[in-house]
Amino acid sequence: MKLVAGLLLMLAAALAQVTWASQLEIAGAFPNLVLISVIGLTWTEGVRAGLFWACAGGILLDLNAPGPLGPHALALLAGVYVTGYWARNLDRESTLHPAGAVAVSTVLYSLVLIGADNALGLPIPPFRTAVQLTLAASLYNAALMPLALFALRRVTAGLRWEPAEAS
Amino acid sequence: MLLLAVLSQQSWAAGVRGTAKSTLAPLEAQMMSLASSTDHAMAIFGDIASLRAQNQRLSAENQDLKRQLAELNAAAYDNKELRQALDFQRTFGHRTVVAEVVGRGPDAFSRTLQIDRGSDDGVRAGMIVVSSPGLVGRVRETGLHGAIVQTLADPQSRANVFLSGSGLQGTVIGGPAALQLQVQHRIGATASKGEWAITSGIGGGYPRGLVVGSVTSVSHSDAATVDTALVDWVNNLATMTLVIVVLDFTPS
Repeated sequence: MKLVAGLLLMLAAALAQVTWASQLEIAGAFPNLVLISVIGLTWTEGVRAGLFWACAGGILLDLNAPGPLGPHALALLAGVYVTGYWARNLDRESTLHPAGAVAVSTVLYSLVLIGADNALGLPIPPFRTAVQLTLAASLYNAALMPLALFALRRVTAGLRWEPAEAS
Repeated sequence: MLLLAVLSQQSWAAGVRGTAKSTLAPLEAQMMSLASSTDHAMAIFGDIASLRAQNQRLSAENQDLKRQLAELNAAAYDNKELRQALDFQRTFGHRTVVAEVVGRGPDAFSRTLQIDRGSDDGVRAGMIVVSSPGLVGRVRETGLHGAIVQTLADPQSRANVFLSGSGLQGTVIGGPAALQLQVQHRIGATASKGEWAITSGIGGGYPRGLVVGSVTSVSHSDAATVDTALVDWVNNLATMTLVIVVLDFTPS
C-alpha cells in the first residue's frame, strides 16, 4: 500500500512537472514538484525512504529530459542526503526548516545536475543564467514547501504511515 | 546512477533509451488534456462567481451559457491552431509532419518539448521544428513514437538571424526570460526596437526566412564589437500545443 501510494505520488508529481509546472513560471524559474515531494517524504519518512523515492522520481524526470538516464536521480539523491542530515539534527515540526532544506537542496540539485551534464559531455547553461535560475527556483520551492509538507502529512496520516524515527 | 547515465548515453543504448522515453508520452498527453479541461473549468467557475449577486435562475442560465461559450471558444481555438498549421504546411514548401506537444522539460536549464511523433513518423535528431508563428527549435532525441525538441528558449540554443529593418546580422541565444541577440556592428546602420529577427540561413543550421521574434530593446556600446538586444520570441513555450517538424531540411 505504502509502495503503491508512493509510486502514484511520484508519477503524479513527475507528470505534473512536465505538463503543468512550466505554466507557473516566474522570472524564468518554475517549481520542481518532484524535488519538493521527495524532500517532503525525506522530512516525514526519513532518509531511506527519501533515497528510494529520489531514485524513482529522478528516473521519471530523466525519461522526459534530453540526454542519458540518471542525472536527475543523482541530483535528487544529493538533495535527499543533505535534507536527511538536516532533519536528523533539527526540529521536524518547524515549517521553516523544511523550507530551508528544500532551498539548499535545490541549489545542490542544480549543481549536481549541471556537474553531471558537464561530466557526460552534454551542453550546460551559461554560469550567470544557471545562478539566476537556481536562486529563483530555490525561493519558489521554499515558498511551496510548507504547503506541500502539510498536504503530505495529511496524506501519510490518512494512510497510517509510520513516521520515521527522529534520530 | 552515474553508471546508468554513462551506459544509457552510449550509442548502442539509444534505441532502448528512446523507447523508454516514449513510454510516458500517452500519460503526458492525457495530463495535458486534463490541464486544458481544468483551465476551461476554472474559467467557468470564475464566471459563476461574478454572477452570484444575481438571482438563482439567471445564475443557472448564465452558467450554462458560459459553459457552452467556453466549449465553443476552446473548439474555435483548436480549429484555429489546426488551420494555421495546415496553411503553414501548404505554403512552407517543405515536407513536414504535425506533432502534438505532450510534455515539457522537467527543469529550467533545458527548455525542451516532448512531442508525440518519433522515428516511426520519419522524425530524426537534428531536424528543425517550426510553428505557424515561426521557429521553435530542433529535434534533439527521438524514440519510436516520441521525440524531444530543444527549443530556442533553451540557454544552449543558437540561431543566426538578420534584422528585417536594418539588415544587420546577429546571433540569437536562448535565455530563460527572453532571447538575447548579439548584433554585429556595421557603419551607418543600427538595430532598433520593433525590428523582426529572421533566420539568415548562415551556418546552415536553419533555413533562411523563419521568424524568430521582434526586438524589444537594444543596448549599444561603442567600445564593444557587438550590440546586445532582447528579442521577444514569437512562440510561447507554456501554451504551445502543436508544432511542425520539417522532414526534408538537413542542417549542414
